[in-house]
Amino acid sequence: MSPVLLDVNGLTTRFATRAGSLNAVEDVSFTVAEGEIVGLVGESGSGKSVTGFSILGLIDPPGRIVAGSVKLNGRELVGLSHAALRSMRGREIAMVFQDPSATLNPVLTIETQMRLAIAAHESLGDAAARARCIEVLGAVGIPDAARRIEAYPHQFSGGMRQRVAIAIALLNRPKLIICDEPTTALDVSIQAQILTEMKSLAARLGTAMIWISHDLATVSSVASRILVMYAGRLIEAGPIAEVLRQPRHPYTRGLLGSLPGIARPGQDLVQIPGAMPSLIDLPQGCAFQPRCGFADAQCATMPALSAEGARSFRCHHPLAAETAP
Amino acid sequence: MTTAQPAMLVEVEAVSKRFTPQLSLGDRLAALLGSPVETRTVHAVDRVSFGLEQGEVLGLVGESGCGKSTLGRVIAGIHPPSEGRASIAGETVMGDGRTPLKRTTRIQMVFQDPFASLDPRVRIGETISEGPLAHGLVSRTDAPAYVARWLTAVGLPVEAAERFPHQFSGGQRQRVAIARALAMQPDVLVCDEPVASLDVSIQAQIINLFLKLRRELGLTMLFISHDLGVVRHLCDRVAIMYLGRIVEIGPAAEIFAAPRHPYTRALLDSVPKLVTGSDELVTFKPIQGELPSPLSPPPGCHFHQRCPRAEARCRSDAPQLAGGTDEGTGHRVSCHFPLAGEA
Repeated sequence: MSPVLLDVNGLTTRFATRAGSLNAVEDVSFTVAEGEIVGLVGESGSGKSVTGFSILGLIDPPGRIVAGSVKLNGRELVGLSHAALRSMRGREIAMVFQDPSATLNPVLTIETQMRLAIAAHESLGDAAARARCIEVLGAVGIPDAARRIEAYPHQFSGGMRQRVAIAIALLNRPKLIICDEPTTALDVSIQAQILTEMKSLAARLGTAMIWISHDLATVSSVASRILVMYAGRLIEAGPIAEVLRQPRHPYTRGLLGSLPGIARPGQDLVQIPGAMPSLIDLPQGCAFQPRCGFADAQCATMPALSAEGARSFRCHHPLAAETAP
Repeated sequence: MTTAQPAMLVEVEAVSKRFTPQLSLGDRLAALLGSPVETRTVHAVDRVSFGLEQGEVLGLVGESGCGKSTLGRVIAGIHPPSEGRASIAGETVMGDGRTPLKRTTRIQMVFQDPFASLDPRVRIGETISEGPLAHGLVSRTDAPAYVARWLTAVGLPVEAAERFPHQFSGGQRQRVAIARALAMQPDVLVCDEPVASLDVSIQAQIINLFLKLRRELGLTMLFISHDLGVVRHLCDRVAIMYLGRIVEIGPAAEIFAAPRHPYTRALLDSVPKLVTGSDELVTFKPIQGELPSPLSPPPGCHFHQRCPRAEARCRSDAPQLAGGTDEGTGHRVSCHFPLAGEA
């Protein structure tokens, strides 16, 4: 096992709203080893993106990290000054967002934007900076990078724009890249290209990744470990193939059953009844209990995260290890 | 499978749809003065023909910009076709007089985003009953019971009629949109990515609802989607579109098991699969390159620039949609060098 790169412990992020405190992330703990790709999976409102933002210190008021720690190579990131966070972002941890048309500046050329990202962390000569930009653009699969670097974002297609965003994330050789649904907005054929490229890039450069997504199939094709979130909490974690083959938490199994493509065509999908509860008004105890077929009186108390080998789950009535979905 | 062609409920005959943006005032003046002005025409749909049988669910699949939504809208009578004709039970949907058949109730549409397709200031009951009242499908006194019936059919409580859209989640709103469409008692339902904006667990609920409605009402549907898993689950037949043309059409089971068009094959290979074996190696065979611009589609077969099988002929000569050895099942492919059809 590679040494631990990122250690998130008891992370809790809340947003103050007029209706009350919104518990976006509640007591989330996990680690990412050097060079490891971890999938962070959940539905809208599960807290997966806020977890990513919290790691980078990108939570603005009314949001606040109220408890927990995030350690990168042993160094605490929670509570760092604005300036210290700035020098860390991009250089040690970079992020790729879902919508590349919103993350790229429309009035700057690709070269200008890329050189700004380099200049934020080191002073390189003109020629050296340009050469590095072209090299990284080429690495993410942009043909004719030396010429395309002078273009503006609107001159690129959606897939190419996302490649540029990935190139910018790679510029300063960060140890960790947090990818927040980087392929969700793309067509399947472009998604397949980018998944393949990112996986081989990460392997070549030894970059660790947290791959945030709602799509189990995408995550299963890039990540080696999976973290499943529901209503702000981590409810199951483990080696991805094992978790998908034999989920222990009823919610994970429900998610798998919801996927068309596993059931026989035309057959009813195994659906999870109801919808995710409001994060302002969570049910007592396990948040999944109102939708769960196994729930009983015991579920009114919050189950602890129990570990079994490399796997862990938060459930009073875990599915037997041999039950296949 | 029968060899005799059953009567089609929906007939789409050589439908084309082009969009030409209006020239700006300056450009029009320049054109008047005789300078060459470039008009940019988007060929969204290019001579598409197919039929839809009574009670059948046809999946229309393709990537963004392939024209699937435009085709759906032409069939639903929202856009007039530039050429060709779409008809339902023999009646032209939108003829030369440009009078939409939409004024009758034969066809209804369910859109992708239930946050945009419902009027936020109108109660759900009114949203559902407005159309049926206007068309005399129900009297004002019977309207509440009629609304209740359709709310129940889509799995919503009867009290929902008194509420407003913002009081519902995305999945529930999509149920309202489906109830609104069904309350018109249409012959055909056109669904444009109806589950694409929903979370996985909610998506499964809506897919199950479609399956149930299909069983109970014998719905005929055109189901537009980019999600091959959903289409495979729900549809009897599938049509694959690429840059305005149908490149392959046939029974869903056959197309998913043994695609004949290189684009269909590549599309299927691009879909990430759930990996549950720790030793399984994930390899994609991504399609090279990107979708060409519909402003200037390549000559010949639109796919030839990205196709591993392309030869000289593909660059000049557009293939026709034709049946191969499987003509009995209606499996047709538009390719000079189709795949053998092995799994």
